[in-house]
This record gives sequence, C-alpha cells and structure tokens, in this order.
Amino acid sequence: MSDASEEELSLLETLDHLLDRGVVIAGEAVVSIGDVDLLYLGLNVVLANVDAIIRTSQPKQIK
Amino acid sequence: MKLVVIGAHLERGDIEPLAEAVPVSDLWLSGVAIDDAQPVGDRDLLLRVAKVRAELLDRATFIAIRYGFTAHGSSDAMAKCAPHIDRWRRVLRDFSGHVEMTLKVAATTARPRPDRHDFESGAAYIRALHDATRATDVAPEFRRAVDEMLAPLAVKHRWSNRDTASLEFAALVKRESIGAVNDAGARLKRDFPSVPFLLSGPWPLEVFADDHE
Repeated sequence: MSDASEEELSLLETLDHLLDRGVVIAGEAVVSIGDVDLLYLGLNVVLANVDAIIRTSQPKQIK
Repeated sequence: MKLVVIGAHLERGDIEPLAEAVPVSDLWLSGVAIDDAQPVGDRDLLLRVAKVRAELLDRATFIAIRYGFTAHGSSDAMAKCAPHIDRWRRVLRDFSGHVEMTLKVAATTARPRPDRHDFESGAAYIRALHDATRATDVAPEFRRAVDEMLAPLAVKHRWSNRDTASLEFAALVKRESIGAVNDAGARLKRDFPSVPFLLSGPWPLEVFADDHE
C-alpha cells in the first residue's frame, strides 16, 4: 500500500472513531451532512477502504 | 458561541492551550468553540476536531465524547453531563495511564446489510440488522491468534460485532504497551497475509468508558 493510501486510511479510521465511538450524551441528535448519516458514512467509508486494501495487496499479474 | 465537546478530562492543564476548557464539577470538558450558527455537520470542522482530539491524547488520556455533542458554557455542560460525572471520575483516575487499541478485521463472509425498504416496521428492520450483525465471524485461527497475542497485553479486551462486514477487537492497554501491541500486529500480518485487518490506535477511552464497574 502506498504512503498516500495509508495516510488516507489513517484519516478515515480517525473519523470513524470520532463519529462512532465514545460516550453518547442523551438527547443529542445524530449529526448528518445533507441526507447522509455521518455515523454510517464514517463506518462505511472505512470498510470500503478495507476492501481497497485487499485489492491493492493482491499481486498484479503481468501479461 | 458553543463548544463542540471532544472529551472529559481530569485536569485543566491537560486541555489548554490546545482546546477550550469548560469545568463540569471537578472535571473538565475539552472542545472547540464555534459560532452558534455554524452547523456541526461541517467537513472542515470535523477534521479540525479530529486533529485537536489527537493532540489532546498525546498529552493525557481522556474519555471520548462522540462527535456532535455541543454545550453553551459551563452550566449547560453541567446540566447535560451531571449523570456521568461520578463514573467519568472513576474511569479517569483508574485508567489515566491507559489508551485503547483497535483491531478491525473483515468478516469471513460479509453478509448483505438488510434494506430498510424491505420491512414493514422499523422494529423488524432493526431486528434483522441486529441478526445480520451478530452472524458475522472471522476465521477461527485468526481470532485465536489475536486472543493469544494481543489479549495478554491488555488490561481489558472485547470482541464486538459492529456491522455486517467486520468484527472488532478492542483492547485497553497501558501506554507503555503500545509498542508491544504494534509488534504483535506486525506478527499477525506476517502469519495471516490473506486476512485483511487494520490495527489502529492509540485512541482515548471510547469502548471502555462506559462499563467500568
């Protein structure tokens, strides 16, 4: 994986923790941008990137 | 002005001048001050808060509060946080030298996430989502290796099914054990090259902030 990919993954994981971990104070609304629920957005983006790791870690075939 | 709250801390000196500090009883909340009119669902603000959060953890362990919680000054913060103060104090005192590490691993077979449009009631959808999440699992040999290599380094650890495509191993570790955890992660990567996983941290007290009894 390239340095850029690692940096991107690190940021996404950070956002996932920020949005989906920690103490929830009762009465607070879920934060969203537009119609997208950020909690799910963060999680899904990180998972999508895990898929990308799998793809990029596959050895490339030389034809 | 309002404060986008980041965490709960023991000492004011653990927060300033990196972030704003607001007293709640004998504890302190850290946060980023923004105009009342500014929405918290703002990308740049989110990135700014993430950066400050990491800097605060470099200085001292704190209890993470999920993004989106805002307070207008000390009295508002105290009114909202009062039920948590005693527990937060216990957790912070007992785990001041600890951080969390997280290992996220892709499920052996990702299960499709239920589509809410396929259900007549919200309750049925939530049940189906819960069932699909609970059904995910990882390769038993990988899970066993994590239990053997990472769990002994942790003060507390827990596996959890967070979604339909992955499982998560969370560990509460002493700060001086971070290097050993990363070394164990490197061994896992060497021993299981075909298992996609992500070891990350250190993080503030997140998973283990709620169940300290």
